[in-house]
Amino acid sequence: MYSDRRRIFVVEDETLVLINLEDMLGDLGWTVAAQAMWLADAERLAASIEPPDAAILDVNIGGTTVFPAARILADRGVPILFATGYGRDGLPPEWQDHPVIVKPYTQRDVATALDALVGSAS
Amino acid sequence: MAEVDYAHIFAALPSPFMVLDKDLRFVGANAAYVATTGRTLDELRGRYIMDMFPNPGESGRRLLLSLERVVATGETDTLAFLPYPIPKGDGTFQNRYWTAVHVPVFGDDGGVEFVLQNTVDVTELVRMREAATLPFTSLSAETSLIERTREAERASADFRRLFQQAPAFFAVLSGPEHIFTFSSDSYARLIGGRSVIGLPIAKALPEMVEQGIVSVLDQVYGEGIVHAAEGARVMLENEPGKPAQETFLDFSYNPIRNGAGDITGVFVQGMDRTESVRAAQRQRLLIDELNHRVKNTLATVQSIASQTLRNATDISAARQAFEARIIALSKAHTMLSDRQWNDTEIGHLVRQELSAFESEQVRFAGPTLVVNAKATVALAMVLHELATNAAKHGALSTPTGTLAVNWQDGDDESLILDWVEQGGPAAREPAQRGFGSRLLRTVVTGEMGGSLDLHYEDTGVTARLVIPLSAYQVQENQFVQ
Repeated sequence: MYSDRRRIFVVEDETLVLINLEDMLGDLGWTVAAQAMWLADAERLAASIEPPDAAILDVNIGGTTVFPAARILADRGVPILFATGYGRDGLPPEWQDHPVIVKPYTQRDVATALDALVGSAS
Repeated sequence: MAEVDYAHIFAALPSPFMVLDKDLRFVGANAAYVATTGRTLDELRGRYIMDMFPNPGESGRRLLLSLERVVATGETDTLAFLPYPIPKGDGTFQNRYWTAVHVPVFGDDGGVEFVLQNTVDVTELVRMREAATLPFTSLSAETSLIERTREAERASADFRRLFQQAPAFFAVLSGPEHIFTFSSDSYARLIGGRSVIGLPIAKALPEMVEQGIVSVLDQVYGEGIVHAAEGARVMLENEPGKPAQETFLDFSYNPIRNGAGDITGVFVQGMDRTESVRAAQRQRLLIDELNHRVKNTLATVQSIASQTLRNATDISAARQAFEARIIALSKAHTMLSDRQWNDTEIGHLVRQELSAFESEQVRFAGPTLVVNAKATVALAMVLHELATNAAKHGALSTPTGTLAVNWQDGDDESLILDWVEQGGPAAREPAQRGFGSRLLRTVVTGEMGGSLDLHYEDTGVTARLVIPLSAYQVQENQFVQ
């Protein structure tokens, strides 16, 4: 039955925020295909994993930004949802057309944003 | 020897002199004065000066004031520069410029009896000055009377010094090539102390050419428009031998006009705003960073609440667990804010978390090791979960149990922390992974990129955390760069 679950790639460098997001995604019927807390891991996984149905990327990770990994995912056609405490202002112009959820976000925020990104599961 | 005939000497003096009584009526005048004013001595004698040369304007007022001052104070008074039209024979007036010195002549009673006036027609000089385009030119060069020279120089020098030392910057560019003829001290500092006087701006400040300065100056010079800008960003070589630096200026270019209204140059004035612009940028950055941290902290608290409630069996226990976790997080923040949010020392972190327990049961030791802000928060939460577990299920749940926490600096500068519980109930791996163990594993292996060796022994829980240097080392100015 888990084969029906959609796969998602998560980048988040704060343990507590990541754990909460993983639980939210589980509740929403997503399987976390891979997660990364550092840019190097994020880039490696973005290039190597089977393309997921979506990705949620924390913009600022470990003192740098997630955009190099985002570029790899975008080139592979993966729909991207950004998560950040800076809001939309934290996104440079070339990523402005991507959706953003602002921390702290609710499970409902995540559900709505992912539905808009990849279409509702139902 | 013949006696000196002062009357003849007076009459023969080459520059114009005249004498007024203390009611400012003409008493006498020399030939040069008569020639200059175009009036005969007979016409002048006995006439009140302001009737003879009426001037209802500023110049007339200044002339009268100066003369009255000499009569009242008995002190010499000088008018360095006085525009004063003189009637020509045909009834029309001619605009002339004068420098006038008024000297008191005292009577036997010691009071002022006469005022001696010496005037020099500086009209030609004024025309020269306008043509020369430099507004600070001394009037003195061609005058022969020392007092006038001094006065004029003093006025010009005061004026020049005022501009020279002003905190705002000033420069004067002359002619269509915009040649520097004046630059204030602050302007010199702005351009890295380069010598620019006598150079066209394109040569003096070559880096400004591609930034369009010449065409703007051409417009000011050619069309007489005023060009002003606030907080303008320019790249200026403001240190000798160094590449151009980002500089922010408030400035204006004003056309300089001569008496005929023709533009002879451009007056440059402004303020270097770089420091205040940078300060505003820094403040913006700090506010953004603060906002980011608050949002992240709220997301952390949200996660703690959510995790506590998800794993809760009863509401009262959940409330206590939630409070304890928030307090642990808060203490970590207090330690950080005590040190300007820079870093903290691992020993303080351990002591902070274990201070609630009996000191005979708990031992901890290790070298002084400073960890960064992110590692401080992460380790504080990990230590809290380990300690909470020990107190509820492990060595600290019985009076006989002991806990040893030791840390060391590994060979590759990684931080190795050993958590060893003994003497308490036997530890058993939980059937379902709880929040504590999940947090421990994610922090150590994920967030900090290290390794975790966790064992549930009959003697109690043991854990070895190995955290690489890159995850905990302190970076100076982590966010303000």
